[in-house]
Amino acid sequence: MDIESFSKIIANAKAESREWLDLIESRNILEKLGIPLNKSGVAKTLEQALSVASEIGYPVAMKIISPDIIHKTEVGGVAVNIRNNGEMKEYFNMMMEKIKHNLPTAKIIGVLIEEMISGPELIIGTTTDQLFGHMLMFGIGGVLVELYKDVAFRLIPITKIDAMEMMDELRAKAILDGFRGSPRVDKEKLAGIMINISDAVVKLPEIVSLEVNPLVVTERGFMGLDARVIIRR
Amino acid sequence: MSGLSILDNFFYPQSIAVIGASSNLQKVGHVVLKNILFGGTSTSDKKEGFKGKVFPVNLREKEILGLKTYKSVKEISDRIDVAVIVVPAKDVLKVTEECGQKGIGSVVIISAGFAESGKAGSSFQTELLSIAKQYGIRIIGPNCLGIISSSENLNLTFARVKPPAGPIAFISQSGALGTAVIEYALEEYFGMSYFVSIGNKSDIDDSDLLEYFAEDSGTKCISLYLESVRDGRRFFNSMKSAAKKKPIVVLKAGITSAGAKAIASHTGSLAGADVAYDAAIRQSGALRARTMYELFDASRALAYQPPVKDGHGIAIVTNAGGPGVIAADDAYKHGLPLATLTEQTIKLITSVCPPTWSRQNPIDIIGDATPQRYRRVLNIVASAPEVGGIIIICSRQALTQIREIVDDMIILSKSIKKPVTVSLVGIVAQEEDRILDKNGIPVTEVPERAVEAMNALFLRGRYLDRLNKSGY
Repeated sequence: MDIESFSKIIANAKAESREWLDLIESRNILEKLGIPLNKSGVAKTLEQALSVASEIGYPVAMKIISPDIIHKTEVGGVAVNIRNNGEMKEYFNMMMEKIKHNLPTAKIIGVLIEEMISGPELIIGTTTDQLFGHMLMFGIGGVLVELYKDVAFRLIPITKIDAMEMMDELRAKAILDGFRGSPRVDKEKLAGIMINISDAVVKLPEIVSLEVNPLVVTERGFMGLDARVIIRR
Repeated sequence: MSGLSILDNFFYPQSIAVIGASSNLQKVGHVVLKNILFGGTSTSDKKEGFKGKVFPVNLREKEILGLKTYKSVKEISDRIDVAVIVVPAKDVLKVTEECGQKGIGSVVIISAGFAESGKAGSSFQTELLSIAKQYGIRIIGPNCLGIISSSENLNLTFARVKPPAGPIAFISQSGALGTAVIEYALEEYFGMSYFVSIGNKSDIDDSDLLEYFAEDSGTKCISLYLESVRDGRRFFNSMKSAAKKKPIVVLKAGITSAGAKAIASHTGSLAGADVAYDAAIRQSGALRARTMYELFDASRALAYQPPVKDGHGIAIVTNAGGPGVIAADDAYKHGLPLATLTEQTIKLITSVCPPTWSRQNPIDIIGDATPQRYRRVLNIVASAPEVGGIIIICSRQALTQIREIVDDMIILSKSIKKPVTVSLVGIVAQEEDRILDKNGIPVTEVPERAVEAMNALFLRGRYLDRLNKSGY
């Protein structure tokens, strides 16, 4: 794991008095943690968006990139399953209008066009408990994570045994073994990612919370689609 | 006794001063003195009390319970190992200072009115600690029930009775729950090596005691009732290192102060209430009890029975179908695996049972089971390599010779290395219960509790396997 460049990304956000990392920085960090990403490209204009999308191949997703926006969905900063140039034009303009309306002062860097990936969704996150300090959570991810509450917790640092036991504690653990034809999870690799995240938090204690969600299980292995990193200013 | 710790002074004293001793039967200062001298207020047998010297301290009285009374510890010429303080909160600072001047290093403060009772109490406690620091005094309490050290016949509490001596060290953050546990302990044969009510844990806390009891040769299981800890990481580390040496059972009540959180994340929102305590207990290798029953059953099982080895499944041997099914359901709920009987085991059991036996686990050996049938089947099951532990259920029917069956259980349990837990369904607190209790076989009325007890032994076995393989 490349802690040094990880630490640079955090220092940069701190210098700008930010408490979280933007989409590009967060995806950067996923890579440093050994998590493969889906194909993506940055676009600042509609023309660029159309060209990136055709390069990746439809369908694609589009997400707003802004240091001022942490909850992208809530302000209309996420569009998924865009199927062609016509829809891209429509969604791009709609997104810009919505954000202008919802957050007129937000600084917009551009949009991220991403390959659409589907599969079972997992979550790995860390938080800081007042009494026990850093903790790691692993479980069933996606947008409904707080509804299912199918997660396991450990104090950081964790070992491989902890990681394996956490996988075994999920009610929906069958999903890791390839449920109904879905791809089987490489548990060794998953444990490795969990340990990397645990280690990163130990080495960079200014991370208040680092959350990868969703971590999608695909035929090509894991793919991290989004991350949320909150730091202490 | 570890011979190394400051806590030895509390549990193995030669002399005790009771500051606030009283001849008034209604006062805590009287009960504490009487308990030290006689063991428990409900008993009057002098032989059961503390063998060392006892010095009552009281400003007005000349003699209490036949002992000469002193106005201050400073008037006593003998060396004092432990002082127990039962005076009102406003006088505690003064008498603690006198303890310091007298050179007493270990003080148990029963008096309430400190950090648990608002701002004034909190500043009292801060002052108390600074006096303690100045004189090098270590404190248990304040606001506690006291301590018990069974091997020394020392009952330094105001409980009504003394628990039976045994291998369980019990730590309680609640004094009231502590007295309840002591009362139950008599009925349920919950044998204690030590009992400590830690009260406000202003100085000595759960972590100190975990470390001490982990090294104590007379303690086989450490049980805690907890509401909160001061230093989460220290508590986790103490549990983790103690769990390598002794099983630990924790009943944790109340919820943690969630406090400021990274609310922008799912992780933060899911990490509410009790999650951190639960993770810490689980990860340390300790066992978390959810009810008082489970605390009792798990502690007794872990203290008296060997753990289940190598993740083997459990066999249920019963003379009653219903309770057997309830036990099987409950095992499933806990994730406690039932053994799949081999052809060989089924063949052997068939040779000693009527053809109507269940031919699978739960092993239902039919309502008319004689002691001989129980004995034969239990011996087969005990030698079956696929079985890691045995839950024996016996419901008394008109023809059941319960006493003989119970005697056989004891003989069996002593001759094998696999754990045994028992449910005598429908039989409450009778002779048979007591015989099993006294022989270290956890016995309960309902099958669910026998399953919980076995589950604790299964989890301990799994933890020890992991520890042996990975050192973690």
